[in-house]
Amino acid sequence: MDGLDLLKKDWKSREASLPHLSYDEIYKMIWKKSSSIVKWIFIISVLEFLFWAVLDIAIIDKNYWKEIEEFDLTEFTIISNVVGYLITLFFIFKFYRNYKRINATDSAAGLMKNILKTRKTVKYYIAFVLIGSAFTGLVSLYFIIEHHSLTAEATTAANYDFNTLAWIKLSLIVLIGLAVLMGLIWLFYRLIYGILLKRLNRNYQELKKLDV
Amino acid sequence: MNKELEHQFVTNLEKHQNIAHKICRIYTNDQASHNDLFQEITIQLWKAYPKFRGEAKFSTWMYRVALNTAITLYRKKKRGIQTQDYESVHFKIKAEEYDDEEEQQIKLMYDAIKELNDIEKALVFLYLEDKNYKEISETLGISEVNARVKMNRVKTKLRTILNP
Repeated sequence: MDGLDLLKKDWKSREASLPHLSYDEIYKMIWKKSSSIVKWIFIISVLEFLFWAVLDIAIIDKNYWKEIEEFDLTEFTIISNVVGYLITLFFIFKFYRNYKRINATDSAAGLMKNILKTRKTVKYYIAFVLIGSAFTGLVSLYFIIEHHSLTAEATTAANYDFNTLAWIKLSLIVLIGLAVLMGLIWLFYRLIYGILLKRLNRNYQELKKLDV
Repeated sequence: MNKELEHQFVTNLEKHQNIAHKICRIYTNDQASHNDLFQEITIQLWKAYPKFRGEAKFSTWMYRVALNTAITLYRKKKRGIQTQDYESVHFKIKAEEYDDEEEQQIKLMYDAIKELNDIEKALVFLYLEDKNYKEISETLGISEVNARVKMNRVKTKLRTILNP
């Protein structure tokens, strides 16, 4: 096959035009895998933030505010939203910092430390989402019930015999509902961040093995 | 200990990086994919490095691991839509470089190689690297006879592509 032999000659002559990476460039490359996972954690957190923001904007209209006003929730809604967004932005910033830091790391020990840090940030973030939603849920509920009992008393007090037992029953149902909702949120986060955290953990174990 | 291993690995890879670049040249069509494949090869080599105990030469071991990486990656990609931009195939080999008939033939050969499948590319690559059948069979983990048979098939296939 003269064609292939011709090619072989050409192949050799082209060796000089191959790219050449420096020691440092290669050195950095062997740590890149974790960095791309952390990059995804950052990207997902931004996407998630945008998702909730868009959902909020879509939901909020005049009716929404009217209802909220009716329940005396205006101040609480504004404050909880502002605080919620601020904390979320803070976490996005943390994720970004983690990504930058892991990108700049060039030792196994440093990388391991950063992987642990990233995992911790993600866990704190999920805890914040869960506690935050539970808290706003409970407070909103409290206001709604209070509002309800007030108006009920004013209009049809006689028909309403909300005794202690009924209150306990209602509270129990609400708490169970809330717990199920929290469970679902938790599951959702386990799914999106869990996969990435698992991979990070695998990298960590690999690094640990190398470190022995 | 770990630092030492790292240093040893990077030094070796820096010295032999041409192997990986040449594999990238056979398997990819543009600079971005070239860099991606190179990085993936580096990561796979580094992951496999603790198992490399120096019973083989670094370059021999590298041929095996790097080619396997390219083959696996290429196989995964093939499941998607596979359209090749034949203009971009020669991003490194500019058209004006081919001014006579011989060079024109070389250009056609490179085109033809791009149409081969993952294993066939590996065979051509090892052939171009002047490897004998024993080395080819060891690198790809097939028998020597099988390597010979496959190589002949590749040559026939290339001929068919060039003279349809």
